[in-house]
Amino acid sequence: MSGLKGLAAGAALVAAVFSSTAHAEETVVWWDFLAGGDGVRMKQMIEDFNSAHAGEIKIDATTLEWGIPFYSKVQTSAAVGEAPDVMTYHASRIPLAVEQGILQKITSADWSAMGLSESDYAPATWSAVTVDDAQYAVPLDTHPIVLYYNKDILGEAGLLTDDGVPKGMGSREEFTDMLNSLKEAGVKFPLGSVTADGNFMFRTIYSLMGQQDGELMTDGEFLVGDNEKKLENALSVLQEWTNAGLQSTYTDYPATVALFTSGEASMMINGVWEVPTMVDLHKQGKLFEWGAVELPVIFDHPSTYADSHAFAIPANKGKEMSDAKRAAVLEVMSWISKNSLFWATAGHIPAYGPVTASADYKAMEPNATYSSLTENMIFDPKSPLAGIAGPIFDVMSTYFVPTLNGEMEPAEAVEEIKYELNDMD
Amino acid sequence: MLKNRRHEALIALTLVAPFVAIYGLVFIYPTIKMFILSFTDAPLIGDGEYVGFDNYTRLLRDRRFDTALWNTFYFVALSVVPGTFIAMAISLGINRLKGRLQAFVLALFFLPYILPVSVVFTIWDWTLNFQFGVAMHVFDLLGIDRVPVFKSSAWFMPAVALITVWWTCGFSILLFLAGLRAIPVEIYEAASLDNTSRWQVFRRITWPLLNPITALVMTIQLILQLKIFDQVYLFSTGGRMNDNLVLVLYVFQRAFQSNQGGRAAAVAVVLFLLVIIVSVLNFQLARLSGSRDR
Repeated sequence: MSGLKGLAAGAALVAAVFSSTAHAEETVVWWDFLAGGDGVRMKQMIEDFNSAHAGEIKIDATTLEWGIPFYSKVQTSAAVGEAPDVMTYHASRIPLAVEQGILQKITSADWSAMGLSESDYAPATWSAVTVDDAQYAVPLDTHPIVLYYNKDILGEAGLLTDDGVPKGMGSREEFTDMLNSLKEAGVKFPLGSVTADGNFMFRTIYSLMGQQDGELMTDGEFLVGDNEKKLENALSVLQEWTNAGLQSTYTDYPATVALFTSGEASMMINGVWEVPTMVDLHKQGKLFEWGAVELPVIFDHPSTYADSHAFAIPANKGKEMSDAKRAAVLEVMSWISKNSLFWATAGHIPAYGPVTASADYKAMEPNATYSSLTENMIFDPKSPLAGIAGPIFDVMSTYFVPTLNGEMEPAEAVEEIKYELNDMD
Repeated sequence: MLKNRRHEALIALTLVAPFVAIYGLVFIYPTIKMFILSFTDAPLIGDGEYVGFDNYTRLLRDRRFDTALWNTFYFVALSVVPGTFIAMAISLGINRLKGRLQAFVLALFFLPYILPVSVVFTIWDWTLNFQFGVAMHVFDLLGIDRVPVFKSSAWFMPAVALITVWWTCGFSILLFLAGLRAIPVEIYEAASLDNTSRWQVFRRITWPLLNPITALVMTIQLILQLKIFDQVYLFSTGGRMNDNLVLVLYVFQRAFQSNQGGRAAAVAVVLFLLVIIVSVLNFQLARLSGSRDR
């Protein structure tokens, strides 16, 4: 009896060993930098992926600190073969990553294995992950900045249209008038601006340059021709609002969000990634009625700065990726892209076309209101100097902060910025 | 006899070998590599071509390097000397207390020293944040204009120096207290028999006998503050990073942001030589002034 039992157990063990070698569960090590409200939603998507692929693929995810810490760690770990199998990456950082050789190409075989192709993406988004005709990442979303507004305050001041969007969005005068009326209505800060963080303000100022068709970088040189003037114009508008007491001064990122959510600032220019913050607060009954729209047209035509979160496969030195592992990584990127409707609840605009074309997406608010801006998006200049936490950011930030708070003349700032940008190499 | 000596040398060698090996691996080797790297155009990771003194000559006309060098010295001037004398004054005060009260007050002054820099940053950001800082509300009450402490170049270094002194002076106080206790009581008794004034006691007894400790504290502080990085990085993130550059931060920018390992190494070599020269100078000066008193 006991002998028989032992035999059966042995047979079961053998079977288990065999089956596990035949269908080994592939573990995909994943790094991201999504720590805010969008991080919570990404964790949900990872869980959904894992349960849909139980026994086949398992994502082992770690969230690291956004910005310089994340990108420093990726560089050094790829160099010694300790990078993950897949990671999130900002499209703006791809030129530098390619120069450093830390990303693997996404080949046309990979694209067809994922069932994705160029036609699924907006041209600007596709171009943002392309360097020298090769793709280095799979775009997940684009995340522009938008104008958040407090419907209660604007409504009371009679500044909303019948559709519930702000009235004065068409020109510099209209928008400034709207800010003035809000000031007169007793609002402490008509516009909450991240004036203490030049890194952040780069997005707003770059958008305002885009509204004048300005270019930061032309053939490897910075602020050529009248682009200098266009940057100065952008800085002048913002400084004018500061001098007139229309926007918050020396306010860092968390403080700006706090000013808006507490009602002290009636409008705020910020990234779409703050949408989940507002949604969650509103659900708990701690927030007024709010909305988000495309940036106002201050100059010639609408234009908004955007970056893109994408998935990239690190080039691990001395550690070849097995075919099975690569197939699993491709499945991860493909599945998450195709199921990125949920990612839109994090405020981001999914990059995968069929998702944004779907009826479900078009019914989502406030996404549907601001998704018009996808036609007017501009990305960072394609340069190893550009991108989140890159050298351009530091130069800009150093002069934006004093200028936006009225300490330095825009013309002087532009001169200094131009000198330093061209002196960076 | 000869054999014995050799035997002893062998034992000595085995005893120091682990230290020498580790020291060589984690200090000597990287230092040599740093010197070699500074003569190449290497990226952050991997090797580069030999470029001679290019990386150094470029420093001469590099505006950001100037800022970093000037700010580093400015910060040292603001933190080392005041920090040392504040620590001395506090330790003189604590030395007058007795028993439990002394231990309690010492603990209060030592407490900030055990905090990690991230906590120090958070505490002071809560205090001095322009929109929500506790101090700003106090300013409002007093009718003083709010000051954007970490966003204005005039206030940044003094504020960070003050915070650094607050953070690190606990350790210096300990050193001074040890020094004060090492001064024989008999000397003070003899002085009181002669009816010496307090100032005379300090000037003629405490100050000269404390001199070796003062020199030590000063040297430790000097080396530490020349290498300032954490506080400056944390407090200027998002703000005026390039205005607030210090040498180590500049090394970090060149290496990790611009991917220029060779140029970063050149800055690091300059800092390395600076630390050596300044600390040797400081120690020699302190020794000279000490021998004059003797």
